[in-house]
Amino acid sequence: MTAPALPLAREGFQAPGVEIFEWPDIVHLEVAGFDLSINRVVLQMFVVGLLVWGLFYFAFRKPKLVPSGLQNVMEALVEFIRNQIVLEVIGRDGLRYMPYLTTLFLFVLFGNLGGVIPPILFPLNGRIALPAVMAICSLLLFISVGISSQGLAYFKNTLFPPGIPWPVYILLTPIEFVSTFIVRPVTLAIRLLANMIAGHLILSVFFVATGYLLTSMNVSVVFGVGALVFSVALIAFELFVAGLQAYVFTILSAVYIAGALEPEH
Amino acid sequence: MSDSGPPRDPPGRGGDIVWSIIGTLVAGVLAWGFIGWLLDRWLGTRFLVAAGIIVGMAGAFYLIIKRYGSG
Repeated sequence: MTAPALPLAREGFQAPGVEIFEWPDIVHLEVAGFDLSINRVVLQMFVVGLLVWGLFYFAFRKPKLVPSGLQNVMEALVEFIRNQIVLEVIGRDGLRYMPYLTTLFLFVLFGNLGGVIPPILFPLNGRIALPAVMAICSLLLFISVGISSQGLAYFKNTLFPPGIPWPVYILLTPIEFVSTFIVRPVTLAIRLLANMIAGHLILSVFFVATGYLLTSMNVSVVFGVGALVFSVALIAFELFVAGLQAYVFTILSAVYIAGALEPEH
Repeated sequence: MSDSGPPRDPPGRGGDIVWSIIGTLVAGVLAWGFIGWLLDRWLGTRFLVAAGIIVGMAGAFYLIIKRYGSG
């Protein structure tokens, strides 16, 4: 018998599922058959986009030789992308792609961080739309980098790796095609999406369970305290994942650009 | 903060190769599995999907060994 005072304890524990990724439309909008409705996730996307723009705008509006405040922070970030990602992976030729990679990193990072920052508590990249669009952007970018640096020979170099007897191309060319132009963008998007979905689900389950246990009015309260401690630790872990996934998305985009810049050898 | 020279083995590198290998394996199975599936539909057989997957895996292994094996 449980205490009747708390309805939560009576109903039994209901674990949150995929429905926590569904948001109702705030503004319903349909243009030429396309559903352009605005829901919470779309609003969050606008906010994150505005935030990324604002950070760069206000940091570098009146740049000083000796940076301070926001300019200092943003310069450190740009320097990190430049030294740790662009110069490390692509080299000096990659500096042209700095703006894309820096914006990509910040956008993915802030999208992910929404998952742990109250009152947002939803990771933007937990819906397929944004990871998919960003992966397609990276795909189109590395294809155009390949064409502009190698011409149409880019496709020949990619699909027909050198040093292989020609009959084997029948076997290998379909594999190269799928791995370069399909598996790359798909894994880029899915890796980010799956990490964010998993993180959001784990956090939700743990916090709902913590609330359930702490209000259970019986011996389970003890476990509730443990669950609370673990939930807080999970927030720290999700912070780490948010940064790591932004880094991985950016560095893999850089790797693909680097691969397109020069033929395989 | 200024780092004196980049580390020779950056953290991204090992991961790149791992992801590239996994990507190639998946691509091999997908590409030839799909070709096998198409042939099955065309010829009305049932075994060519499986054959395609095996061929694709073999091809992917060949490609990986060729690319990363001898260094």
